Amino acid sequence: MFTQLPVLKMLSAAVLIAAGGLASSHVMAEDFYEGKTIQMVVPFGEGGATYVAAKFLEPFLEKHLPGNPRVNVQTRPGGGSILGANWFAQNAEPDGETILFTTSSTSNPYVLGMDAVEYDLAAMRPAYSLPFGAVIYVSPRTGIDSPAGLKEPDMPLIYGGIAAAASDLPTLLAFELLELDIQTVLGFDGRGPARLSFERGETNIDFQFTPAYMSQVVDMVEAGSAVPIMTGGSVGEDGVLSARDAAFPDYPSVYEVYEELYGEAPSGVEWDAFQSIGAVTFNYGLTAYLPEGTPDEILEIFEQTIAAINDDPEYQERSVNAVGGYSLLPASDVTESLSEALQPSDEVREHLRTLLSEKYDVDL
Amino acid sequence: MLENITTALGLLFEPMRLLALFAGMLAGMVFGMLPGLGGVAAVSILLPFIYLMDSYSGLAMLLGAISVIYTADTITSVLLGAPGSPASAPTAIEGHALAKQGKASLALGVGFLASMVGGLFGALILSVAIPIAGPLVLALGTPELFMFALVGLCFAASMVGKDIVVGLAAACFGILLGVVGAAPAAANYRFIFGQSYLMDGLSLPIVALGLFAVAELIGMVAAGGGIAGKPMTMGKWGESFREFWRSRWLIVRSSIIGIFGGFVPAVGASASTWIAYGHAMSSTKDKRRFGKGEIRGVAGAEGANNATVISDLVPTMLFSVPGGPAAAIFLGALFSFGFYPGPRMVSETPDLMYMIVWSVALASVMGAALCFAVTPYLARLTRINFALIAAPLLLIMVAGAYQGTQTFGDILALLVLGVIGWLMKNAGWPRAPVLVGFVLATPMEQYFWLTTQIHGFTWLTRPGVLIIASLIIVPMLLGLVRKWRARRTSTSADSSGPANHIASDDEAPRDTAILLLASSLLLVTFAYAFYEMLGFRSNARLMPALGIVPGLLLSVYILGRQLYRLGRQGRIIHLGSRQELPVLAGILAYGVAMWLIGFNLATPLLLAWLLLKCAGMRYVSAALYGGIVYATTLGMFALMRLTPPPGSWLSLPMPW
Repeated sequence: MFTQLPVLKMLSAAVLIAAGGLASSHVMAEDFYEGKTIQMVVPFGEGGATYVAAKFLEPFLEKHLPGNPRVNVQTRPGGGSILGANWFAQNAEPDGETILFTTSSTSNPYVLGMDAVEYDLAAMRPAYSLPFGAVIYVSPRTGIDSPAGLKEPDMPLIYGGIAAAASDLPTLLAFELLELDIQTVLGFDGRGPARLSFERGETNIDFQFTPAYMSQVVDMVEAGSAVPIMTGGSVGEDGVLSARDAAFPDYPSVYEVYEELYGEAPSGVEWDAFQSIGAVTFNYGLTAYLPEGTPDEILEIFEQTIAAINDDPEYQERSVNAVGGYSLLPASDVTESLSEALQPSDEVREHLRTLLSEKYDVDL
Repeated sequence: MLENITTALGLLFEPMRLLALFAGMLAGMVFGMLPGLGGVAAVSILLPFIYLMDSYSGLAMLLGAISVIYTADTITSVLLGAPGSPASAPTAIEGHALAKQGKASLALGVGFLASMVGGLFGALILSVAIPIAGPLVLALGTPELFMFALVGLCFAASMVGKDIVVGLAAACFGILLGVVGAAPAAANYRFIFGQSYLMDGLSLPIVALGLFAVAELIGMVAAGGGIAGKPMTMGKWGESFREFWRSRWLIVRSSIIGIFGGFVPAVGASASTWIAYGHAMSSTKDKRRFGKGEIRGVAGAEGANNATVISDLVPTMLFSVPGGPAAAIFLGALFSFGFYPGPRMVSETPDLMYMIVWSVALASVMGAALCFAVTPYLARLTRINFALIAAPLLLIMVAGAYQGTQTFGDILALLVLGVIGWLMKNAGWPRAPVLVGFVLATPMEQYFWLTTQIHGFTWLTRPGVLIIASLIIVPMLLGLVRKWRARRTSTSADSSGPANHIASDDEAPRDTAILLLASSLLLVTFAYAFYEMLGFRSNARLMPALGIVPGLLLSVYILGRQLYRLGRQGRIIHLGSRQELPVLAGILAYGVAMWLIGFNLATPLLLAWLLLKCAGMRYVSAALYGGIVYATTLGMFALMRLTPPPGSWLSLPMPW
């Protein structure tokens, strides 16, 4: 398990909230979920990363939630997760028995204000998040061995992705922010096929989320066929996406790379856009939302449960391989910062929409 | 290595694990047989249960299901003519034609045996190739993947039937269906009419179910009686063993084609089956029987599709890139059990690898044996009044479709495609090209744009591309040479020409009204699609244009030809298709009822109509049988953890 500041901060916050909450709702919380079943709605298909993470968390929630409810992972794929989220917004009752567990695939269309979105994500109440970090790496053929090398590669950089408005968005925004000259090839049908293309030498810069990085890319790095450069970073104590990724303390974050390249901290609309999308994609990568209007008592129950799961030695042991070893973030750590990221200023939103439609030809 | 192989066998031979493998196999067989509920449905239904077991048992259960799907769906393809997946479409064409001639047992027997051989070959490849297959998979770059899809489409197009114009138009229509949804190369949504349901495109099971199963169901309910015209004699398998032995090398070659298909993620399954089918055709001297019941077509296709689904596991386990949807779920299960696919998993947990190989091999053999055992009983079903089978079948199809996104869009898509399939069937138009165009449109477009973006035009000279291209060109040249020689040696003795064909189903006179309606609808569809297409961005326009422009021209020609024929021959009224209209209306009414009052209330009405009116049952027995069917269907919904479609106007809650 990684012991670093956010975890400590989170624990103390949890204790504070727990202490406050105990007095009022202790009796009710004791067996709140007894005999109940929680539907955890995953708006993607079976077998995907979100599904695997949900199934991984399922036994821990069953064990630590008061009254030991059954937790049922239910998939509702379609519309790139929009259909499942719409269904949740229209059908879920604010009784803590239905949870939407999803990724930036659901939040990006919301932030960009796409027509198909019928859910108000910022009005929902996040119960907990699981960080979903990512590492950007390059091929050794590019001659790049440090972040500074990104500016002067031996050969043109070519990046393979899925779609600009999907999970590639934070990476593309990072390239934009760092003013890198990278040719973007979009249209792969997953990060796996994009990585295969990297392995075949068709592309030479790629990124993978932590679980896939651990199982696939670490071997490539050891074999000398991939060079890790940076991570998306994590949200530090100051609420800025500047800290290092807990799973990769040796690699700099995009924030640090900017500082190294330009000698000053990043700012302006480019940075705000990257931070808004990056925080939701990486730091709050997998977030469990409760419906709008869910009472505070239920959120307090989750607050305590998440702290208990993080303390569970079995979680600490198994999470290393399953989800990259991240601790769960309780609502007290998520709500404010996530809400900011989901509701960027009009300027940032306009910047994102202009960038996507002009540079990446996205039909919004 | 030998040691690992025996340890792995020991691991699998724990009673619990064998039981799990067997349970998975049974589920795979049942879902393989039910039209529309293929591998994905079986594996996703089993998925929650595997978490109750230890990792090896859980994986064995999934593998049991994956390995027998393509063996079991031979039964549906042959008896109903409705393929469970595009990879079984050749079996549905040839096998069903054989079944209509009373040779179902031959088609089934050869199909089972070929599937078994394909499965065993797949297992063999898994055991020897996994340590060395890495470079091979990596050698296939995006240009090769594009070429593979193109070859698949060419092979499929080569067998569109005698009326090439209609066959090509059908393939174009398939491409049109395939490009619905998000474009891969430009962020453009195409033909979604503002519906978020269509953003991901149409789902394959729904297209296959709608085009084939709904139309067949309507036809059979309307005709009354059983599926087969003649009683089928089952259980005499001698002939099928002899035919299997005669085609043994064809099956082996098809299995090898299938194995290569498995190395190509996403394109593999359907492309390799059609390539194997094309190979069966080109390696058979007398090609006349193809399309009308050629057993070698069944042998080739079945050998290939089962090998593909198993060698799909190679990229899954080496690169964690699944080859198909069932493999994707298997990958998720591996993750959940703490196995992280990659070269390291292969070298660090050889026991797991060989356990997988043994599970697949064992399930392939036992699956084929089980299919032989149950077929005589299933064949008896084909003689009872079809309306009795139609009721549970339709409900299963609704459940299978609704599994897609659990919105009413699934049901609507099923019914609309069902009407299209019905029109095509009654117009005598081939439906398999639609399915192939639909399946291959997406990967072709995707890999074409990736290829040109990454490689410019230098990809055309890549050795892999040239080798795959020769798969298209060499048979074409050989065919030309053969024709030229044949013309030189005997200019007059061409007795095997198309003149003395037996008039088959395809050549029966068609109802003029249906033909006119279908042709006009086709023209209107393509014309509208053309208009809409003009607004797309250029990167999103190429692939649709490849389907729409020829489709538009072909449909103008087809309609013109139809009007000309109408002028010459006058009206033909074919009572068969008219008699089916009430059944079609009944099924559409069921859809409307489901939308208004929900599945739970609409279904008893459907059952009453089917059992009392169509099957002519007595009240008591209809109530009893209908009750059982209704309860079973609700149980199935519960098992799949789905809430049946609620009504928009009135909704009966689930009884629990």
